[in-house]
Amino acid sequence: MASTTLPSPSLSRRDGAAPWRHIDVTLLACVLAIAAVGLVMVYSASRNLGPDQTYFLRRQSVFCLIGLGVMGLVASVDYRIARDFAPMIYAALVAALVVVLSPLGSNSRGAQAWFQVGGFQLQPSEPAKVGLIVCIAAYAAHHRGELDGRRMAGALALAAVPMGLIELQPDLGTMLVFAAILLATLLVAGARPRHMALLGLAGVVAVVAVFQLGLLKDYQKDRLGAFLNPTHNTKRSAYNLNQSKIAIANGSITGTGLFKGTQTKLSYVPEQHTDFIFTVVGEELGLVGSGLLLALFALVVWRTWRAAALAKDLSGTVICVGVLAMLVFQVFENVGMTMGIMPITGIPLPLMSYGGSSTIATFAAVGLVLNVHMRRFS
Amino acid sequence: MRRRDDPPVTNDSARLRLSIVGIVVVSLFSALFARLWYLQVMDTGTFQALATQNRVRTVYEPAPRGRILDRQGRPLVENRGYQAITVTRHEVQGKPEVVARLAALLGVSVTELDRRIADRRYSPYKPVPVAENVPEDTVVYLREHGQDFAGVAAAAVAERSYPNGALAAHVLGYVGEINDKELMQREGAGYRLGDDIGKSGVEQSFEADLRGTPGRTRLEVDAAGKVLLPALSSSPPVQGNDVQLTIDLDVQALAEDSLAKGLEAARGIHDRASGRPFTAPAGAVVVLDPRDGSLLALASNPAFNPADFVNGIRPETFATLQDPANHYPLTNRAIQGQYAPGSTFKLFTALAALRAGLIAPNTTFVDEGSYRLRSCRGEKCVFRNAGGRSYGRVNLAQALTVSSDAFFYNLGANLWFGGGPNARAIQSAARDLGLGARTGVALAGEMTGRIPDPESRKKAHERYPRAFPNGHWYAGDNVNLAIGQGDTAVTPLQLANAYATFANGGTVLKPRVVARVLQPTGKPVRELAPEAVSRVPLDPGQRSAILQGLRSAVSRPEGTGAGAFAGFPLDTFPVAGKTGTAQVVGKQDTGVFVAFAPADAPRYVVAVVMEEAGFGGAVAAPVARRIMTGLAGTPPGPVQLAGGID
Repeated sequence: MASTTLPSPSLSRRDGAAPWRHIDVTLLACVLAIAAVGLVMVYSASRNLGPDQTYFLRRQSVFCLIGLGVMGLVASVDYRIARDFAPMIYAALVAALVVVLSPLGSNSRGAQAWFQVGGFQLQPSEPAKVGLIVCIAAYAAHHRGELDGRRMAGALALAAVPMGLIELQPDLGTMLVFAAILLATLLVAGARPRHMALLGLAGVVAVVAVFQLGLLKDYQKDRLGAFLNPTHNTKRSAYNLNQSKIAIANGSITGTGLFKGTQTKLSYVPEQHTDFIFTVVGEELGLVGSGLLLALFALVVWRTWRAAALAKDLSGTVICVGVLAMLVFQVFENVGMTMGIMPITGIPLPLMSYGGSSTIATFAAVGLVLNVHMRRFS
Repeated sequence: MRRRDDPPVTNDSARLRLSIVGIVVVSLFSALFARLWYLQVMDTGTFQALATQNRVRTVYEPAPRGRILDRQGRPLVENRGYQAITVTRHEVQGKPEVVARLAALLGVSVTELDRRIADRRYSPYKPVPVAENVPEDTVVYLREHGQDFAGVAAAAVAERSYPNGALAAHVLGYVGEINDKELMQREGAGYRLGDDIGKSGVEQSFEADLRGTPGRTRLEVDAAGKVLLPALSSSPPVQGNDVQLTIDLDVQALAEDSLAKGLEAARGIHDRASGRPFTAPAGAVVVLDPRDGSLLALASNPAFNPADFVNGIRPETFATLQDPANHYPLTNRAIQGQYAPGSTFKLFTALAALRAGLIAPNTTFVDEGSYRLRSCRGEKCVFRNAGGRSYGRVNLAQALTVSSDAFFYNLGANLWFGGGPNARAIQSAARDLGLGARTGVALAGEMTGRIPDPESRKKAHERYPRAFPNGHWYAGDNVNLAIGQGDTAVTPLQLANAYATFANGGTVLKPRVVARVLQPTGKPVRELAPEAVSRVPLDPGQRSAILQGLRSAVSRPEGTGAGAFAGFPLDTFPVAGKTGTAQVVGKQDTGVFVAFAPADAPRYVVAVVMEEAGFGGAVAAPVARRIMTGLAGTPPGPVQLAGGID
């Protein structure tokens, strides 16, 4: 990496900025590139939604700017300090998830998941993902990678509280993101193979139980039905999935051209600027564009994995793996659902989908990785 | 840093755990890439078609059909334009005041108007017609108050109209909505459900010319069903081409009128054989030009009114047309009716005997009123003249004039006994002149008729043993065939066309009903030239003997058609003709008459068939006479039935 070997005059003015000299420019560039593509795609998908063509573009731009600021902030504070504040972070995230369930939170599309603040909706479960990563990392570091049965149970309990609160909203998708984070972080935090196997088994049992005991909401069943049998053209989810696949496949290799996708332009894909943003890339930029986008995500994931491997200590590794799990799960689930290989859940595509909470939280998560990476020598 | 006791990840276990994470990540991303490749490369075609299907709606606007003109260019079928009020659904949605205003203007209730607007038969992308045949002042009012009627428009609509009523109905045919079978047959020809299509007559056989090209507009539609303007592409409807018939409006009217009058008159005659008046339910007339095969008139009675089919025929009207009690008015008897030709067939027998060398024009035969088959005993072997009359010694021409059955019985028997090619000489002559096969006229549903021979008899027996209990062909069959009875059947058009071949000196023509196809501007698209099917050599001496017999049949007092032609200006407009009476067991006699004129240079052949109406000379010849009178350029009077026999 050029940036890690060549001293940067502007960044070495102050001693305190020394870690910035080791910042992962590749990761940063990829993240900025994805966010930039996201802005264009949000514009393409949303310009025909209302009279104000740039409404969503302007707002998402603001979210990105805030996100960049938050990322810088998160990166600048040594992640090891966060360990001391872990209990407070945990308390804050749990409190936020409890309060959102109260009348102070607001309900939208069947989920009690938002705080309405002025013209913005804050979704506490998004920052909670990042918070939980930090907390599990602190927990693992505290026990120095020795997770026996009791400590393992403690870690599970730690995650179970926010997950339970999110399921009460209900928001199955986000809860699954938490589960993915939990599984990955426990794996690298030193969980015993036996425990991991048991956890895996419990996961399978839980999935079966959810199906068998009728714990799913109607819309969830509908989405699953559409996933399992997309050609059976029931309205709603199956329609959504079919239109999504049509849009992506319509792009073929080179795409229809920016702003020229008929599925996109004519609003055939519902929720296109949010959960189904990938279909815009697929249709208008084709295999070339969507392949490059996935490659950018893969690069981000690789740099995150690399940061995990290079991290100076266990908490750094766990943090990076947590962020990695969050990104990979969201990308796989989101892109997979638009192509019909995963069931439809309301999980945003990181840095691409329109939405402030998700965008800012993702930037914060990337900030954590940058943080760990640039402090790998200190 | 002050962080204590947090070990770096350096041990092998931690490396392994990170590797597991890495492997999971790589497989997940591989799955995404693979799926992306599948959708965007392998399966892109299917989905691109779906994407187009999603967004593109094609709206068709029917083209006005071409007109059908008579040989002089006078319209027989044209289009009547009228104003219809249409409503564009999404523009009046949520605007009850517009609907209310329009309801008041049209004089219907709001409920009724709402029902018409919601009619599911109409495409959601096309304005819905809510009122047709709207008076002009309503249209003017709408135009002047456009701002009060957003989404309401007046549109010109074309429908078939028949300025001459039911005239030539069978030739013109009718138009109706395409059915599933027709749609299937025309797959790929651009037909859609709800389209109009010619169902019979020229409307059917010249459908491709008359139809025109529907207008086609491809619209882009968004997910909410909103149409995005401008249209992706649009082509206006192109009116179909005009079809000009060989039919002459005046001759057609004369033929139909004469036939109707003749049938009416026949119903007033007492039939001695059945003991009740003739029912005379139906008949057909063919008038054609023997020089080129052009049909001048093709009449079939009873007829229907093609205007009944415009905008869909009412079920009760259609039921009437299908009721056997009404004798199937939709049937075009001129090409679909199959009748025993009776004595009109003697022309072919005469020709056969002359060609076979069995007789010469001057060979005589003593007609004693009946004919006994030699080497045959019993009443079945005796064949009698119609009416039991005897004519004494007659030659061929005289036999034709008086229609001596005995003379032709003798020919039929001797040709059969002659064996060899002579045994089939009658069938050969009849087939050479076009009988027993479709003439090829450009009208659907033409029947073949039937010229029986030993083979067809055998086949008929094998197939329908009950209807044809005997599979053998006997001398008696040849005797019956000689005078056009037995299983012999011809259509009126075949009969007229065969006489035309005789009249024109031996050219078998394909009857023409359409002369040319024209653009709406009048510019010719293509000519349908006369077509000769074959050539039959006619010996001038033989022909003149037969011709003399046919001329005398109308002109000489003893001629079977003389009564009908009494007082006709035969010296200026000489007519040659032959009467015939078809006998069908269980039915009254069917009268037949075929004639051509002027006899020395024929321009017209007229064939008349009248079902269960009496002798040909008595009823059919008078109808032909009336038509000939008109053709000769004199005003035709009433149909004067004649007496006499064949």
